[in-house]
Amino acid sequence: MRVRDDRCIGCKRCFPYCPMGRIQILRRHEKIPGRVYIEIDQDKCTDCGMCYRAKVCPVNALYQPAEPWPREVRAVLSNPLIEYKGSQVPGRGTEEMKTNDVTGRFRPGEVGVGIELGRPGVGAYFRDVEIVAKMLAPLGYEFAEENPVTQFMSDRKMGKLRDDVLNERAVSAIIEGKCKLESLPKVLEAIKKAAEKVDTVFSVEIISKVPPEGEVPIIPILKKLGYWYSINSKNNVGLGEPQFKFYDNQG
Amino acid sequence: MTHSLHRRGDRESLKDDFVVIGCPATGVNKKGSAPKTREYLRIAYTHGPINEGDMKTGNIYNTTIDDILARVTDGTIVQVTYDSREKVVALLKELKEKRPGISITVSGVTDIVQEMMYEAGLGRIHTVEYSMGTWGKTERLPEYDVLKITTMCGHAMIANDLVGKMLRDIKKGRRTVEEACLEMAKACTCGNFNLTRAAKLLREMLPYYVVNRY
Repeated sequence: MRVRDDRCIGCKRCFPYCPMGRIQILRRHEKIPGRVYIEIDQDKCTDCGMCYRAKVCPVNALYQPAEPWPREVRAVLSNPLIEYKGSQVPGRGTEEMKTNDVTGRFRPGEVGVGIELGRPGVGAYFRDVEIVAKMLAPLGYEFAEENPVTQFMSDRKMGKLRDDVLNERAVSAIIEGKCKLESLPKVLEAIKKAAEKVDTVFSVEIISKVPPEGEVPIIPILKKLGYWYSINSKNNVGLGEPQFKFYDNQG
Repeated sequence: MTHSLHRRGDRESLKDDFVVIGCPATGVNKKGSAPKTREYLRIAYTHGPINEGDMKTGNIYNTTIDDILARVTDGTIVQVTYDSREKVVALLKELKEKRPGISITVSGVTDIVQEMMYEAGLGRIHTVEYSMGTWGKTERLPEYDVLKITTMCGHAMIANDLVGKMLRDIKKGRRTVEEACLEMAKACTCGNFNLTRAAKLLREMLPYYVVNRY
């Protein structure tokens, strides 16, 4: 996001709308005496467009130019109104478990694990995304094909991202994929180690097919290893059609 | 992505907070899904949501339900937010009967969602996704009360500073609590923001917030 310095009056009304916090500085205009304008730190700005959409600028000074690669990935990942063509889903990730009842993406014995760097509201550089991806890659973690971060990888076996995106930044960027249930402890251990190395926060999510009977298989693992999980969750209620057949005796 | 997950709060704060998402599946039933998604939205709207939207079009506070319905295409993912358990049970019962055909997820307190599904005759949860919280440099996060509000927008479009500004505006008499919630709801394009819960949270925060007037 940019500011037209000949229009901006430095009123600061856009400041509280920025999800990245105080990333603006006030400057004195060189040609207009007494005029102060704001300048947005282009390294920290994620081009999410929130300040523009808030419609609070009284002089219409904010604008979003079309950005060339690699900067264009900022808006693709940060502006929820923009759809990433690779995933065919608006937003930063994939359909993941939302459509598991018809896709069978996460089957019994498999666990979906997502790591959303920068969330909530801190932001992340892709160099931090790569740190996590590299730690997951050797563990049999299968990156989701249609996920934007996966698409930005130059070497999926290593979890290596393209060099030209590493210094780009997004409000958040999510690594999505799955592993075998028996690999879950070492995947979580790797994520725990990655948490010490990244220069941001990340939110972790875990997906499981719920069996027709008995406990959700990931729960005893989380309890045994002492991992916290929230009382609230996202739940596929199984109303999609046609239903994916998970079990031989399924009707 | 998981924009309805990772909402922060205890059971008391989350017990009347539900996001019901309608999502067609790429490669399975996405083609020709627009009428099914419209049917889901139409049914959902009759059960009195507090918010409803499509992330590419907006929510009912920055456009109209007619506009949202008109702009549904094959592949559109829609979000409907409720502030009452009873409304969601009634919705699930109708969806079970009319079966629009797209996948439906309900985000909320897990055991409450499971009970609602049993009441609606849907049986066990099909697939579950849990939040394992926030890891890394958590010292950079704002205070927990602010997070309870901002995490209602999974895309983080409700800035931490916006919550502070809303509290200041309310204290200074510039906005009511309801107007502040509306302003934040506009920022969360998808329609995941629960205005009823936000109003309650803001009212709880107000006594602890001191405005320097001079």
